[in-house]
Amino acid sequence: MSSLSAVLRNDRSEILRMAALAEQFGAEAQLPEEDVMTLNLVLDEIVANVIENAYEDTGEHEILVSLTRDGDTLTVRVEDDGRAFDPLQVAPPDLDLPIEERPVGGLGIHIVRSVMDAVDYQRRDGRNILTMRKTIGRT
Amino acid sequence: MDIFQTTAEPGIVILTLSGKLDAETTPQFAEVINGTIDRGERRIILDMSALDYVSSVGLRALILGAKRLTPLGGRMVLSGPQDRILKLLEISGFTSIFTITATRDEAAEKLR
Repeated sequence: MSSLSAVLRNDRSEILRMAALAEQFGAEAQLPEEDVMTLNLVLDEIVANVIENAYEDTGEHEILVSLTRDGDTLTVRVEDDGRAFDPLQVAPPDLDLPIEERPVGGLGIHIVRSVMDAVDYQRRDGRNILTMRKTIGRT
Repeated sequence: MDIFQTTAEPGIVILTLSGKLDAETTPQFAEVINGTIDRGERRIILDMSALDYVSSVGLRALILGAKRLTPLGGRMVLSGPQDRILKLLEISGFTSIFTITATRDEAAEKLR
């Protein structure tokens, strides 16, 4: 089993540091290249979303990220103390709209739900806990 | 990220992207796309064959580019995305708003 735990601050510069951590974890946990990309994608979407939207104040907050490889299961857990936000309640985007009517954003959560096998959300003690799982090597 | 700009033939410009199109590099990409459109280019090939990673920030920039180009009568074709990026484009519903080809030549053919 390989795992990595990191504490990120709610600052955009942390997204780059997180990408480096994901690469490092990918190498240590011997993840296939496709899964490293998936991991990067998921962390990019979820952590950027927390940093940009979760906080109503301008103070410093901690975002806890843990990555685990156990056999052929990859688990990504992101925990924050921002406002309650259940990404599973976000309506899926309408992908049949023509370019003129296509909204520019709103793809992030949809992508996460598509590339991971399971996404679980809990609100506990004033914290959002998002746990995502994927079978390694499944495309 | 590196972006090379070449002209395939009169009226068709190729932007070759390599590396990552993510939160860090997308502003640079958006600047190049906007500059290309501002210069009057209307037929654009984005050669993605050397692109390793695209995040939703990068996808947003692609949509924005197409949204600018379409009302001007222009078109953007995505060529040669690696399988995992092609999958992401499919998940994101881009196959119905962009023409995606395996090679640059096919992309140029679509734009003639």
